[in-house]
Amino acid sequence: MNAHVSPPGETAAAPLLELRGISKAFPGVKALDDVSFALYPGEVHMLLGENGAGKSSLMKVLCGAYQADAGEFFYNGEKVTIASTADAQKLGIAVIFQEFSLVPYLDIAQNIFLGREPKGRIPGTIDRRRILADAKRLLDTIGFEIDPSIIVNTLGVAQQQMVEIAKAISQNARILVMDEPTAALSDRETELLFALIARLKADGVSIVYISHRMAEVFALGDRITVLRDGRRIDGVKPADVTPDQLVRMMVGRTVDMTYPRHFADKPGEVLLEVRNLTAPSGISDINIEVRRGEIVGLCGLVGSGRTEVARAIFGADPVASGEIVFDGKPISGEPDIAARRGIALIPESRKSEGLALLRSVGDNLVVSALRKLFPSGLFDPRGSQRTADGLIRQLRIATPSARQTVGLLSGGNQQKVVIGKWLAAGAKLFIFDEPTRGIDVGAKSEIFALIDRLVAEGAAALMISSEQVEICHVCDRAYVMREGRVAGHLTRNELTEENIVRLGMHHA
Amino acid sequence: MREAAIVSQANPLQRIPGVAIVLGALIVLFGAIAPGFLSPANLSNVLVQSTILTMLALPMTLIIMTEGLDLSMGAVLTLTSLCVAIVSLATKSMLLGLGAGVLVGAAFGTVNGWLVAILGIPPFVATLGTLGMAQGLSLIVSDGQSVVGIPHSVRDIYSATLAGVPVPIVIALVTYAFFHALLYHTRFGSYVFALGGNREALRYAGLSPNKLLIAVYALGGTMAGIAGLLMTARMNSGHPTAGLGLEFDAIAAVAVGGTSFERGNGWLLGTLLGVISVGVLRNGLNLISLPSSVQVASVGVLVIVALFLDGLRSRA
Repeated sequence: MNAHVSPPGETAAAPLLELRGISKAFPGVKALDDVSFALYPGEVHMLLGENGAGKSSLMKVLCGAYQADAGEFFYNGEKVTIASTADAQKLGIAVIFQEFSLVPYLDIAQNIFLGREPKGRIPGTIDRRRILADAKRLLDTIGFEIDPSIIVNTLGVAQQQMVEIAKAISQNARILVMDEPTAALSDRETELLFALIARLKADGVSIVYISHRMAEVFALGDRITVLRDGRRIDGVKPADVTPDQLVRMMVGRTVDMTYPRHFADKPGEVLLEVRNLTAPSGISDINIEVRRGEIVGLCGLVGSGRTEVARAIFGADPVASGEIVFDGKPISGEPDIAARRGIALIPESRKSEGLALLRSVGDNLVVSALRKLFPSGLFDPRGSQRTADGLIRQLRIATPSARQTVGLLSGGNQQKVVIGKWLAAGAKLFIFDEPTRGIDVGAKSEIFALIDRLVAEGAAALMISSEQVEICHVCDRAYVMREGRVAGHLTRNELTEENIVRLGMHHA
Repeated sequence: MREAAIVSQANPLQRIPGVAIVLGALIVLFGAIAPGFLSPANLSNVLVQSTILTMLALPMTLIIMTEGLDLSMGAVLTLTSLCVAIVSLATKSMLLGLGAGVLVGAAFGTVNGWLVAILGIPPFVATLGTLGMAQGLSLIVSDGQSVVGIPHSVRDIYSATLAGVPVPIVIALVTYAFFHALLYHTRFGSYVFALGGNREALRYAGLSPNKLLIAVYALGGTMAGIAGLLMTARMNSGHPTAGLGLEFDAIAAVAVGGTSFERGNGWLLGTLLGVISVGVLRNGLNLISLPSSVQVASVGVLVIVALFLDGLRSRA
């Protein structure tokens, strides 16, 4: 692995900013491991990697939001420290965040110059005429024609992004970091952004650009750095590499792959059928089928619509058109109907959505099954206890007793309680959203063993995961989402990380 | 997400109809059923009686814009009014009385801001606590009795006129002008918008949201101190329950005026119209001889109607 790649245009310019040996660890994860990164003046540097590869962490270290545990920064060859966002600002580093840093009910000019307003004659006041003129001039230089006295809240996403960029430029930013800037833009808006990037480049501004779209990587990038597992895999130039080669650099994470799975010889009857589902949450024309005995993967990048599909099936989000057939009968409406019919949604944030953390294991296990267990409406503590104890044994939940507070259990055991809760309620289809997030390796295997047992007994599972290795090892089949649509279907034999990434990105 | 950004509320002028319709409807209603409501003397009376509420509701607007709340305002007003009465009685000086009221009010406001910003106590709880403290102190300093015999210089503030305009109305207008300039034409005003709209943006601009937040609450307390002078002048005495429930009217006026409780979306002129709406409602109900208990309930209805309209607007 070479730490340096020649700068664009073959001129031997010195890097504007250089990061050497950056490491950053969080409890249980090494987010960045000895990453080096050089940014040359006036270049667009693409940062590429799967979900969780370390792109965001690197970006946050760059802008001072995270402090690196180890490593050095050099600006124009001089050693500098970036210990705070103020330090980064002084070096001319500005980040265009996906969630904007704008104040919704101030106008464009006030947003651009927030904290640096031109002073009026009376102390404390703002020179209104000057702030508008300054803003107008700035907006003109980036080619954004708009009245700077318009309240930001009335702007569309693309326009707000332009204001963000104007704000960064007004702070004399020499380095702009953009995190998936086109994610929320239309084609036309994207064109405008690309034109602006070209202009900024010509002015010598360097841009770090995080993208998941292959077309952009090749259209805009002067250089590409690929991250995987918090490590820098390689730095290449677009001309020297093919999309396939990039995909191969991104995949191949080293993970413990001892997940137990007993694949059925032939799949059971169809349990869930989604036909032409379109929903206002941003998914369209979804066709999905899940059979008894199957674990079906639902993958794609974060934001590709995976969670929205799950929520639509569960009735948590409204549906515009299409059909969802469950267990032979159409289903539509509210989560409580879906739950009664036997669909379980186990959300990613199980702490906020799946469990009452301060209540006992037993209470949590029976809460969804109260109607089934006690049809008369009268609660029977002993019946409840029996059910809870049975589930604790069946799912091997490690808890001293059913009376233990759920919040005190480990992540893996909390996850089991959520599963048990739905099992007690008679769920047949389990929809998991990132089931192994925040769970240690040992507990992961146990969770998968449990899911394996559930489907072997005739249930089915739809599993959303960003951990492609897990999908590949556990699932019978998988659907890959991209920008709100099903981009492709992978059978057991086709199910490889490379194929998932290929379908998930803008690259067939 | 994208749709939400595009279908956003347009300029603040679009909010005029909401509160203006409420106020217009109240005026038409009481003009029709309440004898003497439309007489110049009564209308002037409505405005004079709205002065104290104006002085509380304007800073309350700023506090609510920061996604906060100040429940202690009424109780702090009671306390400052008593301080004005006691000090002016002892020193025969209106200005020293005002100074005492402002000092006590500013102290309470600063404590509120400190509890919210530094200790991170939710505004509802923090200011509920100081409400109790102010109430208790009021009973202690007054011994549960009215403070009477205050100097004429204090009383005259409420009854005097300036070029034919009652002084309280002049004070209300000056207060409004001050807050308008503060919110829309100063750096501090911009930062108030940012406190509720995007605190990160402030931090990123190198400003201290905590200090700004304390300043906003301190401003509220200070205004309650100045309003204490007017309250003492109006009642010609200090009374241990003088400001009871005024925070409720102030919050109601802000809500009726279209200030949202989220994202720093505030509107001062709306608050002023909201204050007048509350004043008209109470005055009109008085004229048709409905008991004060009904008045409290009716202000409650006004708030619910206003928040319902607010909800309709944000959904539209």
